Amino acid sequence: MTIRNVRDHGQRFRPRMACLKKVESVVLEMQDPKTGVKSQNQRLVITTIPHAVTGEDIVAWIANRFKTNTLEARAVGTMMVAFGYIYPLQDHKRLILKPDTSLYRFQTPYFWPAQQWPVEDTDYAIYLAKRNIRKKGMLELYEQATRGTSASQHALVLPYRLEYAWSTSLYIDAAGKERKKPDRVVFECQERAYWVVHRPPPGTVSAMDYGTDRMVDPNMEEVKKKTSDYYRRIIMFTQQCIMRPRVKSSVSIGALVKYSTTYKEHDPFLHSSLPSNPWLTDDVTYWALNLPNVETPTKMRVERWTFSFGELLTDPRGRADFRLFLKKEFSGENLAFWEACEDLKWGAAETMKEKAQQIYKTFLARGAPRWINIDGKTMEITVKGLSHPHRYVLDAAQTHIYMLMKKDSYGRYLKSPVFKDTQKKAIAPEAHRFSDAQLEQNAKRRRPSLSPIILRQQEEEQKAKLAASGPVDITQLCRFTAPVPHLAVYTGICEATSPGLMTLPNSAACPSPISVAIDSTPASERRFDGNGGPSSSHFPSIAEVSISEEENQLPAPKSRMSLSLTRLLRRGCNAPSVFASLSPKCAVTTGGGKVQPLGVEPLAQPQPRRIANFFQIKVDIPPECRIYPIDSEDEEDDSPDTARGTVKEIICPWETITKQDGAG
Amino acid sequence: MGRDECKTMLDALNKVTACYRHLVTALGSTSDSQNLREELKKTRKKAQELAVANRTKLTALLKDKTISKDDRAEYERLWVLFTSSMELLEVDMKRSLEIGQDFPLKVPTRHLIQTGMTGSTTTVAARAMSVQNMKYEADASIDTLDLKDLETEIAQVDQMMEEMEMKVQVAPWAVEAKQEAGAELKSTVSVGNSSVGVISICEEEPKETVEGENGTMKIFVGIIFTAVLLIAGILGYLVINL
Repeated sequence: MTIRNVRDHGQRFRPRMACLKKVESVVLEMQDPKTGVKSQNQRLVITTIPHAVTGEDIVAWIANRFKTNTLEARAVGTMMVAFGYIYPLQDHKRLILKPDTSLYRFQTPYFWPAQQWPVEDTDYAIYLAKRNIRKKGMLELYEQATRGTSASQHALVLPYRLEYAWSTSLYIDAAGKERKKPDRVVFECQERAYWVVHRPPPGTVSAMDYGTDRMVDPNMEEVKKKTSDYYRRIIMFTQQCIMRPRVKSSVSIGALVKYSTTYKEHDPFLHSSLPSNPWLTDDVTYWALNLPNVETPTKMRVERWTFSFGELLTDPRGRADFRLFLKKEFSGENLAFWEACEDLKWGAAETMKEKAQQIYKTFLARGAPRWINIDGKTMEITVKGLSHPHRYVLDAAQTHIYMLMKKDSYGRYLKSPVFKDTQKKAIAPEAHRFSDAQLEQNAKRRRPSLSPIILRQQEEEQKAKLAASGPVDITQLCRFTAPVPHLAVYTGICEATSPGLMTLPNSAACPSPISVAIDSTPASERRFDGNGGPSSSHFPSIAEVSISEEENQLPAPKSRMSLSLTRLLRRGCNAPSVFASLSPKCAVTTGGGKVQPLGVEPLAQPQPRRIANFFQIKVDIPPECRIYPIDSEDEEDDSPDTARGTVKEIICPWETITKQDGAG
Repeated sequence: MGRDECKTMLDALNKVTACYRHLVTALGSTSDSQNLREELKKTRKKAQELAVANRTKLTALLKDKTISKDDRAEYERLWVLFTSSMELLEVDMKRSLEIGQDFPLKVPTRHLIQTGMTGSTTTVAARAMSVQNMKYEADASIDTLDLKDLETEIAQVDQMMEEMEMKVQVAPWAVEAKQEAGAELKSTVSVGNSSVGVISICEEEPKETVEGENGTMKIFVGIIFTAVLLIAGILGYLVINL
């Protein structure tokens, strides 16, 4: 049983206080009878005790020795008192150096703060026990607490130690009484001063506070014997140092410079913030103007959004703006996916699995309602990871989408009318100019801000609102562009409508020529009645309309043809004949669409010829289509969940159509 | 009775350890001297002898399987007190080594700390050694010579403590405290020549110096007192004359 009083479990060593050794040498210098501090006698009622020093003498000596001014000398002197090398004789609880005639005395080396000897609680218990004897039980409150219950509850002072302390204190007390009176007085003062330094009364600041402990003993001697093991470790360490990737200082410094120049006006420490810094003037306009979801942001805030994509996304108002822009561009699912991934990463652990599955179903699955475009490799990784979902399973996909947004949408956003509008409307508040009296008034009128609970509730409400309104714009689009019912090939529209977006790599979402209608109609509605009309009456010059046209075919009654097609597609079998048979019907509907898409997307090209080409549909399924579903998905095909099935079958034709190029 | 024997031996060890502690506190201060170093050495040696004696006795008793449960508990308690005492002694020895190295006596440029303690520690040492008067026979350079001995002795004590832990299986936390919190107030130890009155004055004296500023208060009180006396005298005189 080798349990010594080892209370250290890992981090146990006090960090080296190098100042202590230096102060010791100064104290030693002070002792010189010729060049040291002048001492005098302290006169008590009965005795006189030598070696008392006045505060002003100490200050003068330090100032002389170090050639500094008195203020500095006073600070150094206070430090020496705080460490316990000198202790005051009057007012012993306040460890400061008073530069007047108040008396101080030097502490004996035994009671110096030493690096190697941590102050033991047992000693403190002994001291308190002694004082208890002397004062007949009248210890101060904190001392009593330490001595009584908490000392025994303290892990370091076990009951047996306490008992030992109590019994030993008697002996020590007795031994002390052997000395002469003046010495006894001095000793008591010394001990008391020692414990004021090392067990400060509650509420006082202690100079011996040192933060966290170290793992390595700073006092331990360096390795004397250099064994082969020692050298082996040195070799490993240096090899790793060499292998570490290094950045050229020109690059890193350049980055620092760039960062500083970009952000220097936005740093409240370096530049005054408009209208005024609330911490300085107690005026909270700045915070009110910069709330997370304020209507009109400030100019500074908008400028920040232009610095980098990350800035835009981290600012809630910026993100909202970006979301609006993407909505107009019909590529909001990227951002939605990104947000969903963030939610997964930061969310609670219990709902994680469901969230991951939900995200997959909504964004990644073949025929998902808000399908995002990820390359095959990432999809493979993601799907593999989803069999054992964890917090970061969608990280690869999220990064891909982030880079996509950054490289593509962000640039367009900055040139977009949405952003320009926001920029124009941004407010540039004027700087406040408070007089002193006004500042005082402001200080008086300080009030606490909204409780974080309320803020969180507001956040949640907003999120819910967003979630409710979000999918509408994208998913409803295609639903409401109606096919002619009897011509519809594809049956059973899914609750979430077709992706149709996979075709366009740059997240060209399903457009909503009837976005107004979409916003007003609920998601569950699957009326095709009014849809055909509006869709044909609107002629947005976006190619995506054609997609919506094609997607309109989704809300169609199920036909056997489509079912067989589903099975075919599921197997990845692309019999041209099948498609060919389908095509006429498609052609009809497309023809009925009467929408002439203008070429913005690559889809534009094949559009006019699509009707003709319908009969010769190339059936090579583009890579995007070859999504490896997770196992559960396969089972769904046979379920009455026609939605899934029809979604799947929808995907491929889209791609085949778009892949055509002048075949007709 | 084994228990009482042990107790007295332990008491003796405690006494010597306490005295050693007092002596170590005087190291490096103005009450340091060659004599002090010699006292330290002697006390140390005595402490070690007692420690060894204690250890052998207690180990023998604890190894004995035939003792009763109560006895065993008692011995374990004593053992634990003994180990604590030894730890204290060891720390004090290490500290005395460090301070001794820092404050060699012969070097004229190395000054002792003016702590205000000027008296000698002879009486403390005499108490430790249980003699009436201390005899000093060591040579003049004991301060440096002794340090080497001290180092070896510290090593010895270290080793002894390790052995003790290995050989005797006593769980310190299992030992219950016999005395409760206020016990030391009630117990008495054979004390030399002192009275409570002296102690209280010692405590208060530092406090009195605090009231240096209140000296004027004292003078004022003195004046009032003398005034009252005078008035009493005058009244008495008047009464007598009337």
